[in-house]
Amino acid sequence: MSDEVKWDKSISDVNDAILIGIDSPQKSYYFALAASVVCLLIGVVAWALQISYGMGLSGLNSPVYWGVYITNFVFWVGIGHAGTLISAILFLFRAKWRNSINRSAEAMTVFAVITAGLFPLIHVGRIWFAPYWMAPLPNTNNLWVNFRSPLIWDVFAISTYLTVSLLFWYMGLVPDLASIRDRVKGVRRLVYGLMSFGWTGSVRQWHHYEAGYGCRAALATPLVLSVHSIVSWDLAMSIQPGWHTTIFPPYFVAGAILSGCAMVYTLVVPLRWMFKLESYIRPEHLEACLKLTLLTSTIVAYAYGIEFFVAWYSGNPFEWGIFEKRATGPYAFYFWTMVFCNCVFPLLLWSRRVRYHIPTAYAICVLVNIGMWFERYNIIVSGLVEDFIPGSWGHYEPSLTEMAITVGSFGWFFFWFFIFCRFFPLVSMSELKLIMPKPWSSDKLKKIQGANPHA
Amino acid sequence: MRKKDTKGILGIFSHLDHVCDAMEKIKSRDDFAGHAVYSPTSYHELEHAAGYGPSAVRWFTLTGALSGIACGFGLPLFTDWDWPLVVGGKTAGIPSLPVDLVFGFELMVLMGAIATILGMLVMGRLPNPKDKIFDVRTTNDKFAIFVPGANLEGAQAKFLRDCGAEEVNVTT
Repeated sequence: MSDEVKWDKSISDVNDAILIGIDSPQKSYYFALAASVVCLLIGVVAWALQISYGMGLSGLNSPVYWGVYITNFVFWVGIGHAGTLISAILFLFRAKWRNSINRSAEAMTVFAVITAGLFPLIHVGRIWFAPYWMAPLPNTNNLWVNFRSPLIWDVFAISTYLTVSLLFWYMGLVPDLASIRDRVKGVRRLVYGLMSFGWTGSVRQWHHYEAGYGCRAALATPLVLSVHSIVSWDLAMSIQPGWHTTIFPPYFVAGAILSGCAMVYTLVVPLRWMFKLESYIRPEHLEACLKLTLLTSTIVAYAYGIEFFVAWYSGNPFEWGIFEKRATGPYAFYFWTMVFCNCVFPLLLWSRRVRYHIPTAYAICVLVNIGMWFERYNIIVSGLVEDFIPGSWGHYEPSLTEMAITVGSFGWFFFWFFIFCRFFPLVSMSELKLIMPKPWSSDKLKKIQGANPHA
Repeated sequence: MRKKDTKGILGIFSHLDHVCDAMEKIKSRDDFAGHAVYSPTSYHELEHAAGYGPSAVRWFTLTGALSGIACGFGLPLFTDWDWPLVVGGKTAGIPSLPVDLVFGFELMVLMGAIATILGMLVMGRLPNPKDKIFDVRTTNDKFAIFVPGANLEGAQAKFLRDCGAEEVNVTT
């Protein structure tokens, strides 16, 4: 993709442009940061009230014990997937366009998974017991955790995902931290020096770094596919109609990548402007991200369709009943919002003009984010609200506390992301240099152009 | 903390092909013992010119991943043995291998990744915050070749200039 990019900058411009942007962001950055703090505070207050007054405040009750909190958990885990896809799978495929956005995508993964990890803690109510419940340790009767439960699989999957994402995100930062260390003075130099581990950029270090990067990509690639598969098993391993289906793992993975790519676009477009990075995060790179969004949107649309077909074709009246009600019952609004946002609006991205028209593409990506949240809500709530005991059937809508905590989760995610942008380079400088014209001498350039006049 | 000889000369290059040529030629010289090459990013041309074999980091990864598989299967298998759950009067203690695969896989990735990072640090001789940074431009856009024990009048300095070094400086 970026092979087609006509760079008007050289590698000598990269550090200056990116690091000056960090030191002097646009004023809008501070407004965005302040807005995220306000949202975060709303969530903190709501959570504090829920802890004080108990889980009754959340509105969760039989049979919908998994409401907005687990919806948020699945949503945020899904958001993280694009980061790993971009940093690992696209690395193995040698997709050069990833080099300009992989740092922001990896940061997004780390903060999204941390945000997701909050929700099981919020959901259990008594958070102070949670670490003990989740760790694979025997209880007071020496009874071990149930390793056959998908919930403990999830603990392992999410912990692994967070640790691996965090380690490699940081390792990727080390050469750039060394670049910052070499530009600043005083305490900042000391701090960045310690954080960069004394990286010198020797060819020997680069050699082992690259080897590790490749091994890491090979390990993280199956992780992209496994984490949301395991999250989907939280639902699919039950015998609940609407959940008990083998299509869930690929369906969830495609949905996760769709929401993640849309979120990368949602984050990168304003930030490239706030930090003056338009010359490095090019429209061609953003377009490539949109193509991935379009691809995964079509896979998700196929999954929605085949899910209905299988429910009908199975001849199981309970399964079909759930699906029929999703589309025509009290949750029809959520269902059709999901369908339009995830399957219909992204079809506009078939048009090259739309892909290069940033405001329209941005609106589509925001709608995809909304649609993906509605998808998780739709699956979880409509699957639970009519369980095996008709006497307990009812209707569930999010309570004010749940909505406030959801707003708070967005505040938390964006707060950390904005803080990250202020102190660390949003674009991986060392990797960006790799997709820019190599610093050949004029003799070598003549030779290359002689061998290939189109180069 | 690794101590190294920091006295010598440092040749600064702007062009990738010049450094690569110098590195190729250095292989046949015996007055460049202990030299080091610095680059702003990981150009594969430099790795080829240096003639490094496959990195040992992959063995760290393999060891970590195999240990992870062992731990991932070992933990649930141990608990099956430690406290057999009798379900429906069926024979207790039969391991649920398909379920254990989840833990085997996850810990393979986790421990493989941690071992990979360890490998990158150990083989790259990191952390070493006191390591000498000869020229701050090498983390920006310049390449450098450091030759320990050499001086500006020596054959090494002349060689670096002949290979296209824009500057040759003394390091302390």
